[in-house]
Amino acid sequence: MPENREDDQQLIDRFGGHGINRDNAAHFRGRLERRLLMSRCGDCGRWQHPSRPMCPDCWSWNMTPEEVSGRGTIHLLMELHQGPPAEGVDYRDGHPVVTVELEEQPALRFTSTVTADFPDDDLEIGAPVELEWIDRDGTPMPVFRTRSA
Amino acid sequence: MTTRNPMKDQVAIVGLGSTGFTRDGDRSPLAMALAAATEAIRDAGLTAADIDGVVATSEPGADGPEVIAAALGITEATHHTKPTPVAMFSLLDAARAVFTGAADHVLVVTPVVMGPWNSRRAADDPWRRGTRSSILPIPEDAGKAAAYAAWASRYIHEYGASKDPFARIAINSRTNAAHNPLAAIATPLSFGAYDAARMIRDPLNIYDMDLPVDGADAFVLTTAERARALPHHPVLIHAATSGIVGKNDEDQLVGLHRTGQHVVVEQLRRHSDLWIDDIDLFYPYEGFTIITLAWFENCGFCPPGGAESFLREHWNDDAQRIEIDGRIPVNTHGGSLSEGATRGTGHVREAVHQLRGTAGPRQVEGAQAALVTPGGFFFNPQGAVLRRA
Repeated sequence: MPENREDDQQLIDRFGGHGINRDNAAHFRGRLERRLLMSRCGDCGRWQHPSRPMCPDCWSWNMTPEEVSGRGTIHLLMELHQGPPAEGVDYRDGHPVVTVELEEQPALRFTSTVTADFPDDDLEIGAPVELEWIDRDGTPMPVFRTRSA
Repeated sequence: MTTRNPMKDQVAIVGLGSTGFTRDGDRSPLAMALAAATEAIRDAGLTAADIDGVVATSEPGADGPEVIAAALGITEATHHTKPTPVAMFSLLDAARAVFTGAADHVLVVTPVVMGPWNSRRAADDPWRRGTRSSILPIPEDAGKAAAYAAWASRYIHEYGASKDPFARIAINSRTNAAHNPLAAIATPLSFGAYDAARMIRDPLNIYDMDLPVDGADAFVLTTAERARALPHHPVLIHAATSGIVGKNDEDQLVGLHRTGQHVVVEQLRRHSDLWIDDIDLFYPYEGFTIITLAWFENCGFCPPGGAESFLREHWNDDAQRIEIDGRIPVNTHGGSLSEGATRGTGHVREAVHQLRGTAGPRQVEGAQAALVTPGGFFFNPQGAVLRRA
């Protein structure tokens, strides 16, 4: 992709708080199309997150963003009772933050929240989830909804 | 993975200085650093003219070694670095400078500064508003500090643990802080108060997390040989290390069964003649209580998941504190949960005070060796065995 400074600046402005850089820009571009992209090695096939320019397993530089299924299980879970202000986030009852282990590869994980109607009974480590997209401040955001195992 | 430890017992900690810690600070980071530094240099029986190495941590809002050197009136220095905060990065750097001959008397200055991101009082302070943090301003960030709550939930899930061992870590620190004039909070904590505490990041409540504070510690290090001529009984760095696993992004860590803590413990065991049966004092970091449970388990006091029963069995109910085998106290100064978030420098300072016999009302009689384990799971686990010369 040729460099497009105006386009890059728009992307940076949109995801300013997310630690966006040259190496993970494709992941954030994917979010604008509601596709969850993660970096995958074209030589050994291993996934890597967060995105880095070289494969740590085989030292290949042939890393390409590919879409993941978004299916997985809750591996880590916390409920925030305070935190930075964000649209649609209410800390009074605890804002859930889940780290989901994706089915693509052991220990390949993505951290986000869950949908507003996520059943309390399903919110536990080991629970099966799948990807859903919401909007926050007009920008698509990947979150998780419950699914039957 | 090396078994070589040529630095064993060759470097001594000979000077200590501390401002004490407060949640109501009104001094500049430089003023705090200089107060601790001058105290440490005087405590070592030295003057600014003797200091030829300056190590100052890269704490957000604090000053670098060049500013410290200028402000202290140091003549010239041949070692000047700015390591990441968390105690052993600076102390190891200083020790290696002494051992290699880069400098003879190295000053280590480790200020901690409350920032707008961790303290409402700091956010209201016009002198601090410009200070930046690397913590992302989005809620769904399992990076940095928040990850400890996430992994605490995993620990509870994997081992069926209750919050009881977490409470004991918090209560132990408060109990021990009662006799530490440097502590930010020294009032006792009860199990009832712990259970009723405000949740911050469930499963961790406000007592599971260390206190943002203002203050500074400082240390002076020199060779074991030079130390013999200085005022205090020398305390030697017997073994010290940091350690990480390669896959250490907070939410990508493979599991609690293999963290930087394991790397630290294995390296210390290769390098140290002394281990947990030989020590008199234990200083596991408790920036978050989950970290401490892991240090107990990973150092081998108990098996993985065994901290709950271990802490119950080694609890002195009258004193409301941990005493391993009725003998080894834990975080005798009150740790980061009471003294404040010193990033482990308080743990090292207290261990040195105990080993040289200057711990005042907290003194453990005849203490010869201490195990100090600052840092958490991801990018900063560290450890040291310190012994009285």
